[in-house]
Amino acid sequence: MSVSMSPNNIVLRSLSQIGECGLFLLRILAAVPRSLRHIRETVRQLWFVGAMSLIIIMVCGLFVGMVLGLQLYDVLSIFGGTSATGTVVAIAIYRELGPVVTALLFAGRAGTSVTAEIGLMRATDQIAAMEMMAVDPIAYVAVPRFLAGVIAMPLLCCVFCALGIFGGHLVGVNWLGIDNGTFWSNMTATVDLMKDVVNGVLWKSVVFGAVVSLIAVFQGYTTPPTSEGVAYATTRTVVASSIAILALDFVLTAFLM
Amino acid sequence: MSQRPSYAVGTGLFIVLGFAALGYLATQTTSVANTSRGPSYTVEAHFANIGQLKERAPVKVAGVRIGQVKSIVLDPGKETADVKLAIDQRYSQIPEDSVATIFTSGLLGDQYVGIQYGSSKKLVTEGGTLVLTRPAQQLEEMLGKFFGAGGAADNLSGSYVVKARFTNIGALSVGAPVKMAGVAIGSVQSVSADPVKLDAEVTLAIDKKYDQIPDDSAAAVFTSGLIGTQYVAIQPGGSPDMLKNGDEMVLTQSALQIEDLIGKFLVSGSPSDKKDADNGKAAGDKSGDKH
Repeated sequence: MSVSMSPNNIVLRSLSQIGECGLFLLRILAAVPRSLRHIRETVRQLWFVGAMSLIIIMVCGLFVGMVLGLQLYDVLSIFGGTSATGTVVAIAIYRELGPVVTALLFAGRAGTSVTAEIGLMRATDQIAAMEMMAVDPIAYVAVPRFLAGVIAMPLLCCVFCALGIFGGHLVGVNWLGIDNGTFWSNMTATVDLMKDVVNGVLWKSVVFGAVVSLIAVFQGYTTPPTSEGVAYATTRTVVASSIAILALDFVLTAFLM
Repeated sequence: MSQRPSYAVGTGLFIVLGFAALGYLATQTTSVANTSRGPSYTVEAHFANIGQLKERAPVKVAGVRIGQVKSIVLDPGKETADVKLAIDQRYSQIPEDSVATIFTSGLLGDQYVGIQYGSSKKLVTEGGTLVLTRPAQQLEEMLGKFFGAGGAADNLSGSYVVKARFTNIGALSVGAPVKMAGVAIGSVQSVSADPVKLDAEVTLAIDKKYDQIPDDSAAAVFTSGLIGTQYVAIQPGGSPDMLKNGDEMVLTQSALQIEDLIGKFLVSGSPSDKKDADNGKAAGDKSGDKH
């Protein structure tokens, strides 16, 4: 589809990719009501992209929280402000690190396999076969994976944040000896439900989940039906998702502040 | 839904875990956790000064939150604040002679009420009052003590008064310390503008102990540190006559305005200014290298 068109002009090629991606999003959204009868498939995808990503998300969240606790303790001790460690860990994780790192991991862990799976479906003509059998491949293949990503990302992000806080607490309180009460009361005094948890964790991760899933499904759906094409599509999923996540993060932060 | 796919349970678990994490984040780590939950009882405390204490600020014992500030009102007819503390019912073992103090968490943190247990066998109950309180420490007072202004001002009975005129006193205020060789020897008693000479007349109250100050000593308005308070520094001269009560110091040096300094730095008008600016720049570079 897209690769045949002016392959040498990178600007035109990226523009047409973005345009096609946008149109693909409209096709997906239009197919959401039709895919409700494939709700089972959505649950299966939720298991695949969500539950199977839990381990990596939890381990990474724990370590991100731990390193934040360690670094902040080190820096804040210069000012005698180590009691603010919990606050800063929570705010940094909720507002930025949680959604962004989760989305990057999600793109690497789930986005790539979605792209590869759909790409191989296309390469082995399974999608063509579905069309022959009057099964709408958008409603059956694309939408469940997209919806699963949108639902899974906020949940994964919450788990990431909770483990991050736990990691920061582990290092700050248990190892470095910040007072437990101070750690929590400073955190609860400063962290705001709307501003940090809802705007930071939830909104950002829903948007990131939608963007990563859209890119992954789109790249798989439009891949050239060759093994090389699937390989490229998988790479492009990670590259495009990462850029989109970081760029959107800035835009979202500016809007949600 | 007769045959249940194997992944369905795992997916359900994942969703439950995700929502549990969200619930944890929302209720345990945000300010939502600060709203009182469970039964509590109310205790009163009267403070001379509450500083920046706000309603819903935490009440802590040994750093652990046991309740929150319920309301803050001014005692009718008195100059004290009546602070009502809502304390969780499970912490009902607070001795009656406990001391309630307003603390600040860290240098810049929020203020909270800290309770230090007394030794009384009697416990405070619903509607009771914590009689022993310590007001919020005002940063200004602490700084004042630190720079010796408070101590010197208290000794006014044993001091003598000297006048000095400055073209500019900057932010020098009444009560600021007067220092010689870095030691506080008195305080600024009054600051007024002279309507005729159009300069500032500053009255310095100097401790009687220090009566051996030559009358050609210079008085200068200095700033302690970059953002510190201003004080009057006395640089002793060499005259055999000493300053006496009511004398005027002739040699004065006005406060340096940071705007003037920056102006000199940026707009090098005269060669001497330029030299200063260069020196300043070199010094700046040097200090920059250290980091």
